[in-house]
Amino acid sequence: MPKLTQEEKAEVVEKMNRIIPHTVLLGVSLEKIEGNELTLRLPFREELVGNPETGVIHGGAVTVLLDQTMGVSAVCADDLQPSVTPTLDLRIDHLGVAPAGRDIFATAHVYHSTRRILFVQGTAWYDSPDNPIARGTGTWARTAPIDLTWFLDQPSEEAPA
Amino acid sequence: MNLEQLLSRKPDAETLASWLHKVPYARFLGMQADVTAGEILFILPENKQLIGNPSLPALHGGVVGAFMEQAAAFELVAKMEQPVLPKIIDFSLDYLRPVRVQTAYAKCQVTRQGKLVANVSVTTWQEDETKPNATARAHFLIPGEN
Repeated sequence: MPKLTQEEKAEVVEKMNRIIPHTVLLGVSLEKIEGNELTLRLPFREELVGNPETGVIHGGAVTVLLDQTMGVSAVCADDLQPSVTPTLDLRIDHLGVAPAGRDIFATAHVYHSTRRILFVQGTAWYDSPDNPIARGTGTWARTAPIDLTWFLDQPSEEAPA
Repeated sequence: MNLEQLLSRKPDAETLASWLHKVPYARFLGMQADVTAGEILFILPENKQLIGNPSLPALHGGVVGAFMEQAAAFELVAKMEQPVLPKIIDFSLDYLRPVRVQTAYAKCQVTRQGKLVANVSVTTWQEDETKPNATARAHFLIPGEN
């Protein structure tokens, strides 16, 4: 499969955000693709709060954003034949918290790959990557090959009212 | 009732429901709990909005993690002598089988609780408790005078 251009990568990532019911529900969006690094944004909403006394976002919501960004980051790796990649494991270190009310971001890339396994790392942050709130490390198995352009033809999910 | 009073209640099914209701994200996921002979069963009812893989389909892996993390946190609160909301330090999740779009269950084990840190393990399954879909391990910091 030919390499995707930067625009095509962005289109595939945006399309994934729009066909996955849970990312549609949360309003996850593409922030940036730089080389093989993908950054997604999770907009703040009251429903994501984990501690009602501080208003801080739930650790689980950070896990959702990191899992999504890390899982999709393979799209941005030019040297990889795209494939269906179920997650094997995910480890999240919670380094700190974002102030209440802030959108959070995650930046991830495949840092090593073998014929069967992708090794991925990601960081969640607010305002700038200098304010990390969590670090993720995970492995994904490479199974059946996939044509990423398939995603471009899929109908988008409707955002719930 | 403030949070401290709420967390200090006997951890029966009604109390667990009130805890889950108090946490916006747990409510958003629709989490429930049942208590039988002191053992807490955490429940994530089927909800198509939680799908992360539309082609299988399967629940979002991150949502499964969030459900398990919240379950671990409240299992810990239920076991504390002076209950407070613990803070997550790290979370390690192994995905064993896809989590299908149907109700998921979780049970937890507080492996060790110290003054400062607690270690909790979690198992999630769907139709058969002996065939777990995911297992996880979490460390929590226990805020307080330590």
